[in-house]
Amino acid sequence: MHRSKLFKLLIAFLALTMFATACGGSDDDSSSSSDSSSASETTESSSESSASEAAEEAEEAPAEEEEAEAPIVQDQEESVLEPVFGGTLRWGLEAEVDGINPTASALSAPGLTMMNAVFDTLAAYDVDGNTVPHLAESFTASADCKTWSMKLRDGITFHDGTPLNTEAVSVNFLAQFGDPLVGLAVRPYYSADEPITIVDDLNMNYNLTDANCNWPSALTGQLGAMASPTWIAAAQDDPTLDQQPVGTGPFIFESRVQDQVTRFVKNASWWGGDVYLDAVEFYPVTDGDIRTSLLLEGELDAQATTNVESIASLAENDSITQVLDDTGDESFLMLNSAKAPFDDIRARQAITHATPRDNYNTLINLDVTRKADQMFTPESPYYNPDVVQLSDRPDLAGPLVNAYCADNPSNCAGGKIDIEYQYSGPSVVGERIADLLSEGWADFFNVTVQVLPQDAHIQEAALGVYNSIGWRQFGAVDPGIDRVWLMCRAIGGISLNWPRYCDEDRDALILQADAATSTEEKIPLYQELSQKINEDYLYVFYHHTLWSLALRDGVENVCGAKTLEGATLRCQVNGRSFFQSTFLTD
Amino acid sequence: MLFFREWGKKAVPKPIRRLIGLLGLLTIVSMVTFGAMNFLGDPLFNILGPVAADVDNPESLKAIEEAKAQYHLDKSLPERWARWAWDFVRGDFGVQFSSSGQPPVSDLIKERLPRTLELMAVAQIIAVSLAIPWSVLAASRANRRTDKISTITAFAFVSIPSFAMAVILFYFFSVQWDLLPDTYTATDPFWGISHDHRLIQLILPGFTLGIGSAAAYQRLLRTDLITTLQQDFILMAKSKGVSKRRVLYSHALRPSLFSMITLLAINIGFMIGGSLVVEQFFRIPGIGSAVVEATLREDFPVVLAIVMIVSAGFMVFNYLADYLYTLIDPRVRNEDTSKPRKITSMGM
Amino acid sequence: MNEEQEINADEVTNDSQASEEETNISDSAQLEVSEFADKKTLGFGFWLATFWLVLISFLAVFSPILPFKDADKNYIAYEQKENPLTGKVQERPVQPPYAPSGEHWLGTDQDARDILSRTVEGARISLAVGALTALFGMIVGGTLGMIAGYFKGILDKIVGAIFLVVLSFPGLILAILIVALLDRSLLTISVTLGILGVAPIGRLARAQTLSFSEREFVMAAETLGAKKSRILIKELLPNVLIPMSTLAMLVIAVAIVGEGTLAFLGLSVQNSATWGKLILTGSGLSTLESSPWVAFVPMGFLFLTVASFNYLSDRIRDYFDVRDIFVTRD
Repeated sequence: MHRSKLFKLLIAFLALTMFATACGGSDDDSSSSSDSSSASETTESSSESSASEAAEEAEEAPAEEEEAEAPIVQDQEESVLEPVFGGTLRWGLEAEVDGINPTASALSAPGLTMMNAVFDTLAAYDVDGNTVPHLAESFTASADCKTWSMKLRDGITFHDGTPLNTEAVSVNFLAQFGDPLVGLAVRPYYSADEPITIVDDLNMNYNLTDANCNWPSALTGQLGAMASPTWIAAAQDDPTLDQQPVGTGPFIFESRVQDQVTRFVKNASWWGGDVYLDAVEFYPVTDGDIRTSLLLEGELDAQATTNVESIASLAENDSITQVLDDTGDESFLMLNSAKAPFDDIRARQAITHATPRDNYNTLINLDVTRKADQMFTPESPYYNPDVVQLSDRPDLAGPLVNAYCADNPSNCAGGKIDIEYQYSGPSVVGERIADLLSEGWADFFNVTVQVLPQDAHIQEAALGVYNSIGWRQFGAVDPGIDRVWLMCRAIGGISLNWPRYCDEDRDALILQADAATSTEEKIPLYQELSQKINEDYLYVFYHHTLWSLALRDGVENVCGAKTLEGATLRCQVNGRSFFQSTFLTD
Repeated sequence: MLFFREWGKKAVPKPIRRLIGLLGLLTIVSMVTFGAMNFLGDPLFNILGPVAADVDNPESLKAIEEAKAQYHLDKSLPERWARWAWDFVRGDFGVQFSSSGQPPVSDLIKERLPRTLELMAVAQIIAVSLAIPWSVLAASRANRRTDKISTITAFAFVSIPSFAMAVILFYFFSVQWDLLPDTYTATDPFWGISHDHRLIQLILPGFTLGIGSAAAYQRLLRTDLITTLQQDFILMAKSKGVSKRRVLYSHALRPSLFSMITLLAINIGFMIGGSLVVEQFFRIPGIGSAVVEATLREDFPVVLAIVMIVSAGFMVFNYLADYLYTLIDPRVRNEDTSKPRKITSMGM
Repeated sequence: MNEEQEINADEVTNDSQASEEETNISDSAQLEVSEFADKKTLGFGFWLATFWLVLISFLAVFSPILPFKDADKNYIAYEQKENPLTGKVQERPVQPPYAPSGEHWLGTDQDARDILSRTVEGARISLAVGALTALFGMIVGGTLGMIAGYFKGILDKIVGAIFLVVLSFPGLILAILIVALLDRSLLTISVTLGILGVAPIGRLARAQTLSFSEREFVMAAETLGAKKSRILIKELLPNVLIPMSTLAMLVIAVAIVGEGTLAFLGLSVQNSATWGKLILTGSGLSTLESSPWVAFVPMGFLFLTVASFNYLSDRIRDYFDVRDIFVTRD
């Protein structure tokens, strides 16, 4: 499904035209062309009421289907070469990570990447998007899907010799359960008195609060990464140990020089089979341009990036293979519904209409990425074609702003609403985006821009101190996982439901979908969910994030990871991939 | 009162008094920095993250209490400063504020200080190597066209801020002509002449940092050289038939170097704090970039430690420069001063 | 061989303390032009520099009413191109940055914003920062210095101590600290840079005041029974003002550079196109490769402005034969 030659041709074409364009050239091309053409046509043919506009959008829809946007997905072909043992893989990260403790740190993309080297997750996704057991042996649901039994594999030990058994898993689970931050994604979903039940050394039960027939997908990420209980206990006493993780994974932590390099060496007795590389080294290089040039010069073997300029320039280089995927998370503007002015839907709607999404995609994303209206991509079965986000419509914003300011003069000045926009920096791209957005909103909003370092940025989001913030989320392979960002129970002093928006009906849809057993049952539920999110105006979607794993020539078989039973695992999830199957031919 | 003061002046020799003064100054600097950071920021927030405000949650409360106890946040400001100072003078710089994993600050300093020092060394060597021939050339053709051109050039270089210089040099030498590497990798070996050796990687940043100093040195040295060249012993050497080159380099140069050396010492002191921008731009993991990152993260122990190191270094080198200057001072008093010598520094 | 060395030092004004203090020489913005320029004419360079400064100030002050393009607007150009996916010819955007052309005289940046307009906008802010900084420095530093120089005694020691502490701080680090912890408004940045300028200006004011206060006209005024404040304002201030102004010009130059440095670290005035920020936006590796004008245009403006201030300051000092020391602490 994802490896069609047509898509490869598309990428090659994109690449060719991309560099010509960058040189101030003529050709521009994107798979989102249908969007921009229909958008411009709609604005040209003006109509008064939004009803007739919506009708016009619907009329465009059939035309859009003809030029349906293709997903930008490209895996590295499975290698036909004989695996070669040895070598060190040098991987470039977007940022340094403070610690890789799945029970104590809120891991972002770079952290999750390193996590994959040293830890194994209990479950994983296969290439078709199904959840399959990985570190665990099997998962069985009870009839009502509220109790799940997990069976572990026998004979696996952590790097420090501690055995992997249900005792170890429960230490991990309880540590996460009790952590003030990580626990927010755990506590609301498991029975409060007895979240887990240990049956014997290898068997245990998870007791959920609500029926969830797709539950094992929750264990494909940070929550499913199992760490040595001995290490967890030691790290609780001495947090510096967070930086020296101990797991069951294909690589063992060796050394770390902060902001320079973290090094992991081969685990020769890995339970999952052969590990080919001698070592993996992670280099944090924050500047995307520099990271790319290091890759091109051969100083790095691979890197993960979402920077479209880099992706475009790498695409035209023959010695680089890129594993692309834009079916994952979305980038958007997030609004805080718990604080003025965005506690009023008119303000939220106004900013959605005023947002210059077209310019964003042209200038920041070089028209390469696909514009997003919802958290599903068009080829997903849950995609709702009727959900359209009306951005680049300043004509619609005006009346709403006037109405809001008439009712709330204290939040307005000069007929414009006072807002704060926050992003993480310092970052040149972040600043360009802030300028771009401010310019687009200038007629309706008085914008104060606030730049915060990454930690503070996340803090303010978690505490609901922000007004509007640039964010990236959703797109989980199993959409049920995204419940942690949407449900009412996720709101608290610290909230993972960042916009702090509670809608019981929305929760009900999510729970219903969780309890559903087939895709057909879920389709109408998720489509309605997308509809609700769209009408609540909490997120102003920009685009589907395009992730690229850029690999130097000689780096083979990155997409060849398999479970013990032989199922091929999904190659990358939001920039995170596996390292066990990779080998170097030079 | 006066008696004690006079007695103190006699009993304690001047250099020691100066030293005590410097230490006092350092203490005040630390107090001001400590106070500023604690007033303007919130240490609890920086250590714990959002958990710090989540007072309804019992687990969070536990973490808050632990952090308060560990970092003595419940004590008063002066007491916290005193604790910090006491640890500091014994070599314990504390641990970094970070919400997961708190490595000791001294590790960070140990990794990063050598990078800045090697950058400074390369910069000064480049500066001096440029300044000497440049000023000799200008002095030997004083007031003629070469000299005027060189003066204007020196002036221009001093007017270009370091970040602009960095971009210009980077553009020409790395981007356009690809002569010099564009990244610095701390783990590369130092000695060597390929792009993979730090010595070569430091040329661009060193030049950026050093060119301004070179211009300043050139100015001083040229003036002093011109004066020296008017001395009798020079005329004597020339009349003895010594070649012009030898006269310049062997006879005239050495006596003229004093001012420049004084400036050199002061500059080194400056550079420790002044290499910030160059380190950021060329991505050299030195203490300059460390303090910028730490300030943005509000990682107070790191900022405090680096401010102390930079101030101390600054003061030490100025102390040295003063000492050098006093060597020539008595003679200055007897001389007729003619030209104004300037400087102005805002600590940049 | 008893080599005599003649070192050109400065004439330290009648100040016993000053001889104990150290003079600090650093990467100075000033240059000795007196060697080859006739002291009594201002010279061609002077007028050139003045012209530039007048021009840039005019542009900065009047830019809202001058026909420059909007500095923040994204002037994306569109053209009829074939959409490779469908083969249809339609309006597609042309990827910026655009090279200098009739439409955009100095080209655009990566977000299709007109560089000429943005640079002129940058002039407003950079000059504003410079002016505010110098103002703050002169008012605070000048006042403190004059008080110290005139009243001497304990006041002098206190003020001296204050200056000492400010000078001992690694300046840039202090600026970063304050701006990062407070906010990034024009006022904050100007005051922060101004604080760093207080000491050099104050020292100069003090030295000048000390020297002038021993002069006859001041002593005469004192004998006649004039109030101290009157003497300060009417007799001393005008005389101290000229050397302070030359120093102020230097301060403006240093402030503009300082603001640029802060901008390069991501800490400049928020939401505005200062020169430092413009240069930073244009100095990414890929941008430098494909469109160097994005960085070099603002850099050119910055250089010309800073060099002009430096040069002017120097020439004026030579012209008025100002003997002074900018004594800074080690």
